[in-house]
Amino acid sequence: MLQILFNGLLNGAVIALPAIAFTMLFGILKFPNFSIGAFITVGAYAAMVANTYFGWQLWLSAIFAMLITALLIWLSDQLVFKPLRSATSITLLVVSIAVAFIVESIIRLIFGGDIQGLDLELTRPIRFGGFRFTIDQLWIIGIVMLVMLLVSIILKYTQLGKAMRATSDNFDLAEVRGINTSHVIAATWLMGGLLLGLSGLLIGIDLVIEPQIGWFLTIPVFAAAILGGIGSPYGAMIGSVLVGLAEELTGAFLAPSYKVAVGFVIIAILLMFRPQGLFGLPEIKK
Amino acid sequence: MIDYLISIATYVGFYMILALALNLQWGQTGMVNFGIAGFYGLGAYTSGLLTIDAGWPWLGALLAAGVLNMLFGACVSFLSIRLRDDFLAIVTLGFAEIVRLVLLNEDWLTRGPRGLPIDVQPLSGSLDRESYGIFYLLLVFVVVGFVFFVTERLRKAPYGRVMRGIREDDLVAETLGKNVLYYRIQVFAVGAFFMGIAGALYAHYVQNISPEHFTPMLSIFIWMSVIFGGAGNNKGLLIGASLVMMIIEGTRFLGDFIKFIDAGSLSSIRIILIGVMMILVIRFRPQGIFPEERFRQP
Amino acid sequence: MPETILITKKLFSGYYGGDIVKDIELSVSSNEIVTVIGPNGAGKSTLIKTIAGLVPTREGNILFEDQRIDHLRASEIARLGIAYVPQEANVFRTLTVSENLEMGAWTLPEKKEQHAKQVYQLFPDLKERKNDRVGNLSGGQRQMVALGMALMVDPKILLLDEPSAGLSPKLVSEMFDIIKSVNQNGVSVLMVEQNAVQALKMSDRAYVLASGKIKLDGPASELLQNVEVRELYLGVSS
Repeated sequence: MLQILFNGLLNGAVIALPAIAFTMLFGILKFPNFSIGAFITVGAYAAMVANTYFGWQLWLSAIFAMLITALLIWLSDQLVFKPLRSATSITLLVVSIAVAFIVESIIRLIFGGDIQGLDLELTRPIRFGGFRFTIDQLWIIGIVMLVMLLVSIILKYTQLGKAMRATSDNFDLAEVRGINTSHVIAATWLMGGLLLGLSGLLIGIDLVIEPQIGWFLTIPVFAAAILGGIGSPYGAMIGSVLVGLAEELTGAFLAPSYKVAVGFVIIAILLMFRPQGLFGLPEIKK
Repeated sequence: MIDYLISIATYVGFYMILALALNLQWGQTGMVNFGIAGFYGLGAYTSGLLTIDAGWPWLGALLAAGVLNMLFGACVSFLSIRLRDDFLAIVTLGFAEIVRLVLLNEDWLTRGPRGLPIDVQPLSGSLDRESYGIFYLLLVFVVVGFVFFVTERLRKAPYGRVMRGIREDDLVAETLGKNVLYYRIQVFAVGAFFMGIAGALYAHYVQNISPEHFTPMLSIFIWMSVIFGGAGNNKGLLIGASLVMMIIEGTRFLGDFIKFIDAGSLSSIRIILIGVMMILVIRFRPQGIFPEERFRQP
Repeated sequence: MPETILITKKLFSGYYGGDIVKDIELSVSSNEIVTVIGPNGAGKSTLIKTIAGLVPTREGNILFEDQRIDHLRASEIARLGIAYVPQEANVFRTLTVSENLEMGAWTLPEKKEQHAKQVYQLFPDLKERKNDRVGNLSGGQRQMVALGMALMVDPKILLLDEPSAGLSPKLVSEMFDIIKSVNQNGVSVLMVEQNAVQALKMSDRAYVLASGKIKLDGPASELLQNVEVRELYLGVSS
């Protein structure tokens, strides 16, 4: 049981940062961006390039991955999403799926479809009664918690953070109160890119690196964001843990391959009965 | 060569049926269905399993596939009460993925990833291979014609006008007193029925199906057909479906001539091309290549 | 002669598909309170939103202190000293009261503390609930936050869309009193109001808008006595 809880926490940690990125982008731009999975993959591959091709240390590879991902996701806004700012959210959803497929295919073209990995020291799992974990996994959880704390501080105490929360809450009102929402939008993309890039590295540590790795996270991330209330980064953090736990429990009691269905089921139930999630305001109706 | 072209044309036929069905659901009432692959796959497996395991005749299995899909379609369409467009898209995508997972995992029934061989075919044995290909092509296009006829009639009829009203504005349609939900369910179910038929036709044509034939990518291809043709426009999407198939096959052809690109890379290039085209069409010609004609009073 | 600070010339605006606001010639002078009344759907909200920069101007000009603002984005217009308070969705519900006021002070952060104090004096209720999420406040309190936000930047002109909407009669009087006193401190006011009688009583001039066009205008006291206005727009039967 402890193992399930730990694995759930780990799962949650892995999707927490992308969930924050996703929910903030959704809150400000009002559409679900399904390309975030592809950018997690970008982060993973960028980290791999830095780590195994350039031979850099993990921490430096992380920074490299974060910067590359932020740049590319910002580019996707400039090229694709910004010109479509006034489009409906379904159109933007479809376009974001197209972007996801394009990015994933480009990665596949460059790196091939084989499974790759980071240059990590093999560590022995630590056993504790019936419970096992590795140091790497603890690192992941620790780093994610640190970054979540950092993001919380930025959002709560900095001018930019407050402007982001305000713009996500009410775009037009932010404009008329004098906030330059274009800057806020750019900052949100950048922050999202940094978070997604780091997540890519963490995925590379926890699992493997292959072109579809990010896409598989898209639905759990979306579920976590909806569960926590769209636009609420704190909600996304809690939502991630809950989704992570739900997946582990499902894997334990049903077949492990049904884990991916959990996200969909959570999404369907929430959207039907409580679309504002746990911490959102009742507003996302038709 | 002729065989190849006939085969391509047959595949175009399947896409046309799916696109017409999707257009019924989306173009006429605004319900977004990203679960096409799920309905297609359900139809394929239902018909396949009924003929192989239960010994049903081909035609009966085909119709059963359609009917089962209708039931699923009606259920899924209930979701549209509470779900706005983008969420409905995601949930229907979820439906398709869950269908695929079940097909993959419950291999005691479906044979899982190994694939389900289906050797039952209409008129099997009575024609040589080449003639059979032509026969099946004609069969598929008869169905295409039928589906086109039905969806066009629905579009032009007063029923069709109601559906367009629903697409334009929920509130308006509701204040007109029509039972929005009732129409939605009906339309969705009819669309699902046709998708099931398409799936069954596909299954008995390729004679071996597996869950990986029914991925989200397929749903994207069908959406592309509708987008190219201009949502709401049935004639346009027939051309759209052909265009999409040409792109898919065109890139396959390219592979035969350019030897140094392997199949995997080709697949990636194909997807990049389709994705870019989709974005370009949405960006620069969102009304499609053949925009919906202004609705004329009959 | 009071100087005109806001003026619209042959203003047309609306959303895709048609103009809602047609050929509007309107002006506000410094220290004036100007009210726009009219039936529902007349375009009053759209007119105010156009001046604030949220609805694009299709034709015509809007000048503020002799500078054209019709092509500026809303945040730039706000920076010039024009404070727009929408009728609905006029607060940041997920932020606290004090955070809302902070957002209000965005273009004048140096005076943040000083102005917040003044706003709390004006609305003592809000001071008690400084750290509460605005979404949890009552309708009346939210209106106070909305107006308070606008006051944080010493605006030159307030654009108010139905400031009394949804308020109890007692609060309506209080709201109008506050608007009056703010005006006396040198802030011009252009407001749209459904509560026509009370609004006209405290205004200097008024416009009557119907079907997107100005039907009548003049000193508020005159319009209050005008028979046609009384019957059609003030709900007073003769």
